Amino acid sequence: MTRIVLVRLAWMLPILFGVSVVAFALMRALPGDFAQAAAGTTDLSPEALDTIRRGLGLDKPIWAQYLLWLGGLASGDFGSSFVTHKPVLGELLPRLAVTAELTLMAGAMAMVLGVFTGLASARLRGRTDWFVRGFNGLLLAVPNFVVATLIVLLAGLYFPELGIFNYTPFFTDPLGNLGSMLLPAFALALAVSVTISENTRAAVLEVSSQDFVMVARAKGLRPGAILRNYLVRNALTPVITVTGLQLASLLGGSILIETIFTIPGMGQYLFDSITSRDYPVIQAIVLVAAVIVLLVNVLVDVAYARVDARVSYG
Amino acid sequence: MVEARPVAEAPAPRKRRHLLLALGVVMLVTMLLVTAFGPWIAPYDAIATSPNSLAGPSAEHWLGTDSIGRDVLSRLIIGGRTTLLITFVAVSLAVAAGLVLGLVSGYVGGLADELIMRALDIVFAFPVFLLAIAVVAALGPTVPNLILTIAIVYTPIMARVVRAPVLSVKRWDHVEAARSVGVGELRIAIVHVLPMVVSPILVQTSLTLANTIFTVTALSFLGIGPPPPDPNWGGMLSEARQFMELAPLTVIGPAAAIVFATLTFIVLANGLRDLLDVGSH
Repeated sequence: MTRIVLVRLAWMLPILFGVSVVAFALMRALPGDFAQAAAGTTDLSPEALDTIRRGLGLDKPIWAQYLLWLGGLASGDFGSSFVTHKPVLGELLPRLAVTAELTLMAGAMAMVLGVFTGLASARLRGRTDWFVRGFNGLLLAVPNFVVATLIVLLAGLYFPELGIFNYTPFFTDPLGNLGSMLLPAFALALAVSVTISENTRAAVLEVSSQDFVMVARAKGLRPGAILRNYLVRNALTPVITVTGLQLASLLGGSILIETIFTIPGMGQYLFDSITSRDYPVIQAIVLVAAVIVLLVNVLVDVAYARVDARVSYG
Repeated sequence: MVEARPVAEAPAPRKRRHLLLALGVVMLVTMLLVTAFGPWIAPYDAIATSPNSLAGPSAEHWLGTDSIGRDVLSRLIIGGRTTLLITFVAVSLAVAAGLVLGLVSGYVGGLADELIMRALDIVFAFPVFLLAIAVVAALGPTVPNLILTIAIVYTPIMARVVRAPVLSVKRWDHVEAARSVGVGELRIAIVHVLPMVVSPILVQTSLTLANTIFTVTALSFLGIGPPPPDPNWGGMLSEARQFMELAPLTVIGPAAAIVFATLTFIVLANGLRDLLDVGSH
């Protein structure tokens, strides 16, 4: 077990290195001068620009700049915002917590919805199957920001008293906070539930055709018991994997959803930073998100190996 | 994100297979015709403003007008040109790059395979949408930059889809036979291996088109799409939110267009998959 974890983490290192190079290169690929972007104005004397440049270490060779930046990252220094001039990390962490809450809620909703519809589709067959597949197919074509916009529109037209833009911080009102996250999480969950639903359906169908299910049926076990003890348990492994792998699209989607519902998470922070050209923040968010996705992928792999004895990593 | 449908199911009856594909083709042709002849079909100038703002649907303006009095239907038709142009060009580039990289990686193997796949793993590690945001934000939101970005983020998946079947096809007897009569390696790769892997590429291309519609419109929705005043679907949806309770059609119009385009490519992908029997072996 430890070995699997170590091997997977070791595989991560070269990718992490690549990710950091890409994130670094993005900042240096900015149109115009980085120092000018940092100053937020083009109206500067050459001397003032030189001072800024030296302050940011831009007079050093590019590899030294990269190493400096990497060293900073290692000690938690993600640079300072061009706008507020405060360290990015301190502003990012509270927002990351909000996004994590939204993503987890959406993930849980998607899982419940997906497993339920997938199971119904595979077990009841016939019209239910047809309906679920059709619904899934249609849902797949509706991007989450369209769902969210339509929810806001409907709420505004028919339930104006609902106040869906009232984000409440968790620590002032935990229940109110969960309530204000429900609709955004739902908008985010719908598309992901389709993938889970389709995979649950396929997994249950596949497990149903296995010999041990036939044996169980031949032994005279009741269908309910077979469903609980054999089908769900065996079909759930791939479903958990799929849910884990959907994290990337949940994180991506949360940018849009937070912007639409004005939730002060990482996504809205990114949106604001794009608008104000706050490049260090953009860089930090992209980096953090990539690392989270990488870590979760490792976690999913490990969990998968733990549950399924057939998987091994040499 | 749209993903390949899981395996483990009986193939659809032959008649329904063609029905799905036919439906997809009809939707695609409709969309292409409307966008191709857009400037002649659109009843108004898409960027001309008028004092008649936020008007409801009427005989003059079928879908009403937006907050500065522009005709929503005309903007939808013209906006589709930008959105679809970016989508098609970007995906073509991704397919071309994926073909080359996947074929080299799978057919040559060894160090080339290792290098290419690891490099693509790095791109793959980023959430597609986040990477797209970061690149477009850094390079600046212009049409060429959007195309380049989207091509980059979708190349790894195309390369993988090409590489996987190439790995097995290159060991088939007809490849060995070609080699034994002295056919060059490049010719074998292109003439004898490539045609055998076309089906999964077609299906994946169609799914990628659907995903790209999402990415393009979502980027525009966030304000890093093609610059105004030229319309595009994502931007229209975003702009319309401010006054949507007064003129719901300004939101429903672009929303429907985005859904229709995405649905077209999903239906097409499923039709192609059924026809070509991809993923059911």
